[in-house]
Amino acid sequence: MVAETKGLARAREIYQDRPRRAKELKAEGKKIVGYLCIYSPSEMMTALDLVPYRIFGDMKEPTVEADRGLPAAFCPIMRSCLHLGLKGSYDFLDGMVVAHSCDAQEKTVHVWECLISPPYFHFLDVPGTVHKASQDYFKEGLKDLKKTLESFAGKELSSEKLKRAIEAHNQQRSLVREMYDLRKPDPPLISGTETLQVIKALMSIPVEEGNELLKQVITEVKERKDGPQKKPARLLIWGSTIDDTSLIEIIETAEANLVVDDHCGGTRAYWTDVELTEDPIDGLAYHYLVELRCPRTYVDAVYGETSKDYMADLESRFGYIKDYAKGWNVNGVILQSVRYCDCHGFETPQIKDYLDSLGLPNTYLEHDYSEGALSALRTRVQAFVEMIG
Amino acid sequence: MATEEKKKAISRLKSTYPLRAKVDESYQKSVEAMRAGKPAAWAMVNWWQGDPILKAMDVEVVYPENYGTVCASAGIAESYLDGADADGFPTHLCGYSRNTFGYTSRMIKEFGGEIPPEAPMGGMPKPVLLLASDAICDARYKWFQALGRYMGVPEWTLEMPIPGVKELFMEGVYERCINFMVKELREFVTFLERLLGRKMDWSILDETVNTTIELCRVWHEVNELRKAKPCPMHSRDFWSAMPASLFLLGDVKDSLELYRDMYNEVKYRVDNHIGAIAEEKYRLAFSELPPWHSLGFFDRLAERGWNFVIESWAYHPPIPIDLSGVSDPLERIARLAFQWQVGYFEGAVKEREYFGYMGYPYLVYAREYKYDGAFLHPLITCRSASTHLKYVQEMLMRKVKVPSIVIEGDIVDLRLFDPADALSKAEPFEETMEHYKKVRKEEGFDW
Repeated sequence: MVAETKGLARAREIYQDRPRRAKELKAEGKKIVGYLCIYSPSEMMTALDLVPYRIFGDMKEPTVEADRGLPAAFCPIMRSCLHLGLKGSYDFLDGMVVAHSCDAQEKTVHVWECLISPPYFHFLDVPGTVHKASQDYFKEGLKDLKKTLESFAGKELSSEKLKRAIEAHNQQRSLVREMYDLRKPDPPLISGTETLQVIKALMSIPVEEGNELLKQVITEVKERKDGPQKKPARLLIWGSTIDDTSLIEIIETAEANLVVDDHCGGTRAYWTDVELTEDPIDGLAYHYLVELRCPRTYVDAVYGETSKDYMADLESRFGYIKDYAKGWNVNGVILQSVRYCDCHGFETPQIKDYLDSLGLPNTYLEHDYSEGALSALRTRVQAFVEMIG
Repeated sequence: MATEEKKKAISRLKSTYPLRAKVDESYQKSVEAMRAGKPAAWAMVNWWQGDPILKAMDVEVVYPENYGTVCASAGIAESYLDGADADGFPTHLCGYSRNTFGYTSRMIKEFGGEIPPEAPMGGMPKPVLLLASDAICDARYKWFQALGRYMGVPEWTLEMPIPGVKELFMEGVYERCINFMVKELREFVTFLERLLGRKMDWSILDETVNTTIELCRVWHEVNELRKAKPCPMHSRDFWSAMPASLFLLGDVKDSLELYRDMYNEVKYRVDNHIGAIAEEKYRLAFSELPPWHSLGFFDRLAERGWNFVIESWAYHPPIPIDLSGVSDPLERIARLAFQWQVGYFEGAVKEREYFGYMGYPYLVYAREYKYDGAFLHPLITCRSASTHLKYVQEMLMRKVKVPSIVIEGDIVDLRLFDPADALSKAEPFEETMEHYKKVRKEEGFDW
């Protein structure tokens, strides 16, 4: 079915009913492969004519089904995903490629495989460090994934096909960065809410379709006259996955524009291209293990350093935040994380130290990924915006 | 008088006491040596990957995870948790880590790097190295990374590959994991040599690794004896004896001899049908770590005939494998540690139980130790030790009709465990266990 809506309206439409397009594609004979976070290499799926489809939770639903497999004191996003899986919301998936990104996800997917048993399921181990041996190990793990994907798809994955898929995904990364550039002016030309709708749409449709959507969005946004209004606060938001516009709307209905982000429902999947190496798996391995910036990975400022300089360590881990702040003229940062996220939880005092060293006002918001948390967040966001305004 | 009788509800092994005393004594000696200027490391439990190397390099080691239990038992942890809260760490983080943050903050900010006077068991001296591990949970390297706020101490993270249950059996995966671990261990040795300014003595490492492997084997055999009815050794003895294996605390050769003594004592009990409690009515598995601050709770349950016969997989040694043909001590380390990680995967893949390390072993234990119930103790601030418990509960009922009781608690924060409330649930759970004994019999199970 050809989409009748275009650009931002189309993105909003997909955002509001994500499975619809996937089910249409399935009806056309495509296989839909679910993945839980950005560490699963979508390029491999695309190259085999499979449709990568990101599994998100739904913060508007209580996670009652998850009680069958996970404790209550656990990552609420993973609980929500498992809840939806167990109630059948993802039954249209033909398979899953899951990665050992964080510990919560690694353990959730084992429960998922046991309790839901998708027809195809591959677990990709991801080392905790970026050492050379870790990169080699990860590359071999990608080769294993290639083998099982080939078997699942019933066709061979050639280097040429994989390179073409990498090019298509790199084009998407480039277009996403171009879209983010539209948030640099004051006022930004596209809001944070609209951006999240686009990103979530991209993670629900084939890459070429997503690239077309992005081109439409960029053209539309450049031409329209009714974009966001100028506001005193220009904010960056950092932290665990944001997949619902409610939190963004809270910020943007205060006296603030959200102009850039650092989370895996935003920039993280798109900020660097995959290098087109002779063996394309080399480029993928480096990108997914070394270049993706998620606190789940342990990185030294200097490999094997025998002394540690805290500020140098912070600079090596968070220096890109400074670049975001400069590039998008940010005057405040909201650090947010779901409760029980260890990776972001341990990181929070350190990133606060770094932002304080830059003189960037910041605040930390913790929530439980539910609608019930929003009113308390609204009050705190308003107070923060007033403080920096 | 009543107190004395309660203490006797669990017949503790005599061999546990010298083992525990030796461990405590050697810990004190380590602390004294560190205070005297010997290089010290803080290390995470690393499942024998890093400890033999540190021992061979003559580095004294303390374990903040273990020290968390010490602080909890001494009642001092609360103040350290408050310190971590004040320093901005979220309260949902691992209780052990928050204890360390509070301790370190106080040590650095208030005592200029000297051990705070209230620190139990001599405290943890400021280290020259933080040895992390990415096995089991993210906290165990993120936590040390966050200590950079207080101390300019380098961190090394040991890698533990963890392929999926099915994926492990793809061609070449097992050996690839071993090669990866060996490469990483070699890098770690090089790093240590640079840090300490001295070379590894490979003959000492060789001997240490061999002793460690034998220690794990004997400790495994001790636990195999617990399959007997009545079970001769209670979980209290397991937890008391565990640090000599899990953390390699103390002198490894001494510990090996003491584990051998323990084997002999447990074997004697088996041969003479002596149980760890007077009348074993119910055999139970315990998961996860116990409430260290309330261990007397188990005496009350022992009075009711509850014998705890097996514990979580993570704290047990690996199923023994023959490593005598492996000449490289680093490769022996890698194979030992990886065997611990994936030793149950072969059975798991056959039974299509894909939580092959933290979950599936409970099913094996149920069949082999023939327990009537599982006491599941989710730890509020330790997700990694709790994530699998719902699945374990479901699997045990689905596969072997063994019921579970779930009592929440914590490893450090004693406010999160209510022994009285837990005890009030014992009687109804006994009825449940009785019911499922009948169900298992009807369905042809042999216990």
